[in-house]
Amino acid sequence: MQQFMGYRRANGDVGVRNHLLILSGTVYANGVVERVADAIHGAVPVTHANGRCQVAPDLRVTRRFLAGTAMNPNVGAVVIIDHFKEEGMTAEDLADDIAPTGKPVATVNIRADGGYINALAKATRYAQDFARQISLLQREPAPMGKILFGTECGTSDTTSGLASNPANGLAGELLIAQGGRMLMAECTEWMGCENWLTDKAASPEVAAAILAGVQHMEARALASGEDIRGSQPTGDNMAGGLTTIEEKSMGAVKKIGDSPIIEHLEIAAAPTQTKPGNYVMYGPGMGAESISSMAAAGCQVLTFCTGGGHTSNHPIMPTIKVTGNRNSYDLMRDTVDVDVSGVFTSELTLAEAGQIVYDEMARVCSGFLTKSEALRDNNSFAIHRVGPSI
Amino acid sequence: MKTVFVVYADDNVGTAVLEPISAGDTVATNGERSDIQVAARADIAYGHKIALLDISAGATVLKYGLSIGSATRDIHAGDHVHTHNVESNRGRGDLADS
Repeated sequence: MQQFMGYRRANGDVGVRNHLLILSGTVYANGVVERVADAIHGAVPVTHANGRCQVAPDLRVTRRFLAGTAMNPNVGAVVIIDHFKEEGMTAEDLADDIAPTGKPVATVNIRADGGYINALAKATRYAQDFARQISLLQREPAPMGKILFGTECGTSDTTSGLASNPANGLAGELLIAQGGRMLMAECTEWMGCENWLTDKAASPEVAAAILAGVQHMEARALASGEDIRGSQPTGDNMAGGLTTIEEKSMGAVKKIGDSPIIEHLEIAAAPTQTKPGNYVMYGPGMGAESISSMAAAGCQVLTFCTGGGHTSNHPIMPTIKVTGNRNSYDLMRDTVDVDVSGVFTSELTLAEAGQIVYDEMARVCSGFLTKSEALRDNNSFAIHRVGPSI
Repeated sequence: MKTVFVVYADDNVGTAVLEPISAGDTVATNGERSDIQVAARADIAYGHKIALLDISAGATVLKYGLSIGSATRDIHAGDHVHTHNVESNRGRGDLADS
């Protein structure tokens, strides 16, 4: 079995990065979080606009995003900074969620710890200690089967469904053959391809959950008063040659290969199974929310297939951009990692393109920096909302 | 000679992702199918599809080895394949039985 060099965690997980996460519990702690992260070697801030005045179901989803991000195997230690008290999602609640992983967690409360400056000092000391503590960890060999490989597509064009997405599906098959798991979200873009997906479902329950997920997302769109299918495919999709919603969705679902779909997950929920194969998750097509939901589910690495080119990068999950559009690669080569446009010119077969994507993913798992990581760009943490602010 | 890309071996359309095609051009295929040559009967813009075989009215249009819809009229090898001669079979609120 193939191996990568990763960070082994107390609970048996293996990370591909060893981040110190400075996590904001609420929008009002974001400023302290950013200052702590600025001060400490290797610290990564995760900030967001949530954590206050959310209806309970929405707050539970936010809690799952935040706790899941901290539980991700790529995180070595966590400092959570909270403002005062949000019933149902305090820093202590989050720390309780994270505790089973065995990783170091500290909480700081701006009010209880004596205000902004005192909280900043306290959190900075925790962060300094944790940064040194996790610096003692060394990479060690681990089987590729330990990888949960997320996949996303965004800014798609005609080339996406023809090159980058199917190459990515083949890369996923190579990982699954090594005992790994691949995760795809964005159920809005399963519409029109439900049967292609349910044919792969490992059980009738998984098939039913896939159908229910698409229906729920469609109903959500309809509740806006607009029929989503009134604009799918969009005018520019059709100008670009996409004829029907089936054709557009097929390009999107080709991000996974032909292996069975083992489990359907709620948004930002970790798989309950370890069986090799494909996993799918309910969620929107909105890229930052989608990749954040997959990081919260425990994906250590993600490929982001993009026709038009992209800058998306998650703060703790390396985000490998793959394009099949050579023009986009030329324009965006400082953030797009892999060019598989050679499949159109017979320079590459799809199988070779799949191997290229897999090899890049495996290298990144062992520590090779993505282009966006090298830029220290940190733009794609976002939390899906399922209720209004009240 | 122009070339279009074919995703799966049993597809009956190819996509112009290398170069646009003009009516009258001889068009070959690459990708997963390279045994077909057709004469383009229409201009095919970048990213658009050309029929590789005759497709009868009502027959399935295959891309990715899967149905992307049905032909609404007889399509001849070399025709431009798009919204004017293919319709979706999914999400059709306008059809009584769906």
